[in-house]
Formats: sequence, C-alpha cells, structure tokens
Amino acid sequence: MTASTRMWKLVMIVFRRRVLSTRMLIMLPILFLFIPGMAWGFSDPNIQLPADQIPETAAETMFLASIGIVFAGTMAAVLLAHDGISRDRQSGVLELRLSQPMPRWRQSMILVIGNWASIAAPVTILLLISMWLVGYRSDMWISAGDSVVFVLAAWFVLLWYTVFALLASSLAKEQGSAIAFSIGLWFLFTLLWVLFTTLIAALNGVAVGESKDAAYSVFEGRLDLLSPNGVYHHLLETRLDNVNRGVSATGAFLAALAWTLLPLLWFTRRIKQLVP
Amino acid sequence: MAGESVMDFSSVMFRHKVPAPKWYNPFKKQRGAGIAALDLTLQSGQIVGLVGTNGAGKTTLLRMMSGVLPIESGNVSTKGTIISDQELRKRVGFMPEHVRWSGQETVEQTLVEFALLRGCSKDSALEILGIIGLKNRASSALDSLSQGMRQRLSLGIALLGTPDVLVLDEPFNGMDPVAIDAFKRLLQSLARKGIAIVISSHHLFELDQLIDTLALLHRGQLVAHGTTTSIQERLGFEQLTEVCLDSELPSKLMKNLEVLEQSTTDAAHHMILQSVPDNLLKNIVDSGIGVITWREIQPSLIELLCAATGLDRQSIGMDVENSAWLPMRKIQEEEE
Repeated sequence: MTASTRMWKLVMIVFRRRVLSTRMLIMLPILFLFIPGMAWGFSDPNIQLPADQIPETAAETMFLASIGIVFAGTMAAVLLAHDGISRDRQSGVLELRLSQPMPRWRQSMILVIGNWASIAAPVTILLLISMWLVGYRSDMWISAGDSVVFVLAAWFVLLWYTVFALLASSLAKEQGSAIAFSIGLWFLFTLLWVLFTTLIAALNGVAVGESKDAAYSVFEGRLDLLSPNGVYHHLLETRLDNVNRGVSATGAFLAALAWTLLPLLWFTRRIKQLVP
Repeated sequence: MAGESVMDFSSVMFRHKVPAPKWYNPFKKQRGAGIAALDLTLQSGQIVGLVGTNGAGKTTLLRMMSGVLPIESGNVSTKGTIISDQELRKRVGFMPEHVRWSGQETVEQTLVEFALLRGCSKDSALEILGIIGLKNRASSALDSLSQGMRQRLSLGIALLGTPDVLVLDEPFNGMDPVAIDAFKRLLQSLARKGIAIVISSHHLFELDQLIDTLALLHRGQLVAHGTTTSIQERLGFEQLTEVCLDSELPSKLMKNLEVLEQSTTDAAHHMILQSVPDNLLKNIVDSGIGVITWREIQPSLIELLCAATGLDRQSIGMDVENSAWLPMRKIQEEEE
C-alpha cells in the first residue's frame, strides 16, 4: 500500500468519526434550518426585503441564502474541528500519533481533509437541496456554472474555518482554550467585521451608512478581502450581475487561494514542530 | 540476553522551552531543563531500566528516543549509519505514560488506524491483538476497557511494525499484580526475540527483576549506565553477604571477618558480612555448624540512585527539579 493510499484511508477514518459523531447529529437540524431554510424563505415570491430588494435570478436568491453558510456552516466547521488536536493532546494519544513514522505534513493533511470533508459533505447536500428549492418555489433555476461556483465557494469558506479551528486546537493546551479561540475568530469575522469595516471607513472619511455610496462600497469590498466571509461573498458575487465592489473575479479567486494556502502552510509547519 | 548494538544515541540533547514572560512580550520563552549531551547504546534483546527522581528527564529522554521530541544536537545511528527522525520513528515503538483511550471506536479499529500510520498491514495489526491478549476484546469500544487493557492496547500500538527498540514509559501504572506479571513475561519474551527494551518505572521492585542493565538519570544527565554489578562497583558498593547459622561461629573463624550487623535468637545466629573470604563457607560446614541461609545482598535501585545522585532516601522521591538546569559532571570525570 502506498503512502498516499494509507493517507486517504486515514482521511476516511477521520471523516467517518466526525460524520457519525453526536455533535454532527446535533448540528444537522441546525444546518438544515439555516441552509435550505434560508433558501426556502428567500425564494418566496412575496418576500419583503429591506430597501425594496427583490432577487431577480436564482443566483441572487442563493447569494442571499448564503447567510446560512456564513452563520451555520462555518460555525459547524469550527465546532467539529475545534478539538481535532487538543482532545488527543489531553488523552495522550497525540504523543502516540507523533511517534509514528508517517511524515507530519501528511498527518496534518489527514486532519484538515478529514475534518473539512465531514462538514463539506452535508453542507454540499443541503446546498444542492437549496438550489432545487429555489427553482421549485420561484421557477428560477440556477445554471450549472453558478451552482459549481456556489458549491466551490462554500467548500473554500468551510476549509478556512476548519484550518482556523485546527490551528487553535494545536495552539491550545486544553479544550476550553481551543473552543474559545475558534469561536472568537468566528465571532470576529462573522459579526464584528461589519463594525470593524465601518470604523475603518469612517476614519478614512468614507460616507458610512450610505449603502448606495460607491466609495463606501469599494472600500468595504477591498477590506472584505481580509476576512474569509468577505472573500466568500466576493466569490459568489463573481456570478452576480451589476455588482461592483472594486474587486475583480481574478482578485477574488487569488484572495481565496491566499486564504487557503497561508493558513494551511502555517498549520503544516505547526504540526511539524508540535510537542505533546 | 543482550546481543549486537541496535541503536546508538550520541551526545543527544533537548531542552524544553519554558515561559519567561516580559512586559514587552508576555509569550516570551527561554530554554529550560532537558537532556544534556547523553550517550547511550542499546543492544538487541537488552532490557534497560531507566531510573531517576521526579523531573530527572526520564519522560523527555524517552520522547526523544521515540522521535516525539526533536533531537536538537547529537545524533542517532544504527550500525554506524546516522538515521533521520523519520527513520528513528520507524525503528522505535513507543508506549507513552498516560494514554486515556476513549470513544466508541473499537480496539481493532484503533489498531488498524495506527497500523496505517505506521505503514504496516491490517493483518499484522490483528496479529498484535493475540500477542497483547486482547483478541477477545477486539470489538469492544475503547470506553469499555479497563486501565490494564488500555495499557495493553498502548503496548500493542508500540509493537506495530516489529520495531528494533521498544520504549516504555511507566508501563505498570494502573495494572494489578497479575497483569504486571503477565506484562513482564511478555516483555521478556519480546527481549528474547531480539527487541531492545527501554523501560522507565517507579515500580522499582518490578523493574529490578526485569532489567539487564540500569540507566540512572539525574538532572538530564545519565549518571550511570551498565549492569547492576558494574554500577555497584563504580559507585563503591561493597559486596555484602547475609549469613544465618544454627549456632555462633567459633572465634578462629570470626577472625578477619568484617561483621556489619549481627543478632542472635534461640534458633539462629544472623550476620551481615562484608568481604567474605573464599573458603569461609567450606570452613563453616567443616566445623559442623548448620547453614540456614547464605545469600549475597544486592543494593536496591533506591540505594543505587541515592549513591549516584547524592540524595538521601527520604528526599529521593521528593526532589523535583526546577527549570534552572544545572548540568552535573559525569561520575567518570569526577573520578579522574
């Protein structure tokens, strides 16, 4: 058996362990409520949105419904992966894992891919259900290209949060700190980022609160590149018409690549130097 | 019995990073205690007992030997060839001190998972189940295992991939006497197959009966290594003999005897002698005195440790090293 085959078998072990865990059972209804639930709500033909916004295409409806991924999907990724290392560290199993001859970069990839796949799989299924729901309710069917980008973008954002949670888990000596670190990061990017963006914009003399103000929109768009949720939305916006927030599609994909590679490199390096 | 050299640790060193917060950097760390330029050769089939006080560096050394902690300087070689960290991990099976196996995974699933990490087949993992005596518990959940079974599982994982060296950190913890006995027999059979075993334990009595050579560790330095007899000689222990006779020795035989301790009861005369002349036993028997007991007294591991470290018996178990690392000179150097 080759080293790669062994690695994929181990990925499947982590995947099975996470997917069949109690916490996944608890999170599944929440994910169901947030992802297809949002799609169901936003595809209502009589929906009343602020500023008289009415989604005109299936991609726009899915964009609005992506808030379900931002809130529930990323939170579930964090909750699934937050003890990926700290649990083993506390039980002493980490010491055994680190004493095995499999290179540590492979061990780190097993953790990342296994944990990520365990949240990406249900989210993808729910996302596909959402797309069907939008088409069924509004009779606006999403194109194949749009659906690929929407699924890919969801995979990216889930991967980023999984790596953050694993990094936190590797830095923390016990599980309390690991979850505090992971949730703190989720809180910052999901809820506090708007405040941060607004504050920075105001300090720079941009007209904050003017949602139609082009300067604010561009400023916010660029600042969003520093947030995983922002990059996720930039990726989705590449499929929307009439959206210009100062970031091109190439820029959005490059940012996604940077958000993928940099934390992954940091995590691999961290595992290489990890002591129990 | 010990055979050819399987692994040489030459001037290996590791120092822990300990927190040293400053006002400008609360996360600042500095180098603390660890293992200092340690040399150790392991031979096939040899059981080495690692003994030291709390904080002497036993666990750190065992973690270094198993590739869990990096070797900061020095090298590890087998048959004259320096090996990498990954090769070291391949050749060494490690059983850590505390592994609290938990979860719904079964014993078999856990062994198979570690077999994949180690690069060996599923069949070999299942074979291990028989060796460690957990065949009947193969499908039991980890949560349902007793402490002794958990220790066996950890040993099973250490045995995966037939390592040249087995490194065991406090393997007797949590085991009942029957399990300890079975465990010792298992280790002896593994040693007979040529596996070098390094074992650290606070169960000195159990260790004493098991080991071929002894390694005394103190403040991160190996203060003595060798057979118990050679260490006794090096530390200046005299050979003591306990003699129990059915009556007192006549004065002509008592002449030239160094008696350290003696007591007499109605039925026996008891003595502890130092430097017994070669023909003493024959002379006693010839003189018609009945010999009830005649045995050589070996100093216990605690006594050896006390002699090597200079600590007394009361404080030997209480002496916890702080992070101020004070390297000691080796005994050989002090003797020169």
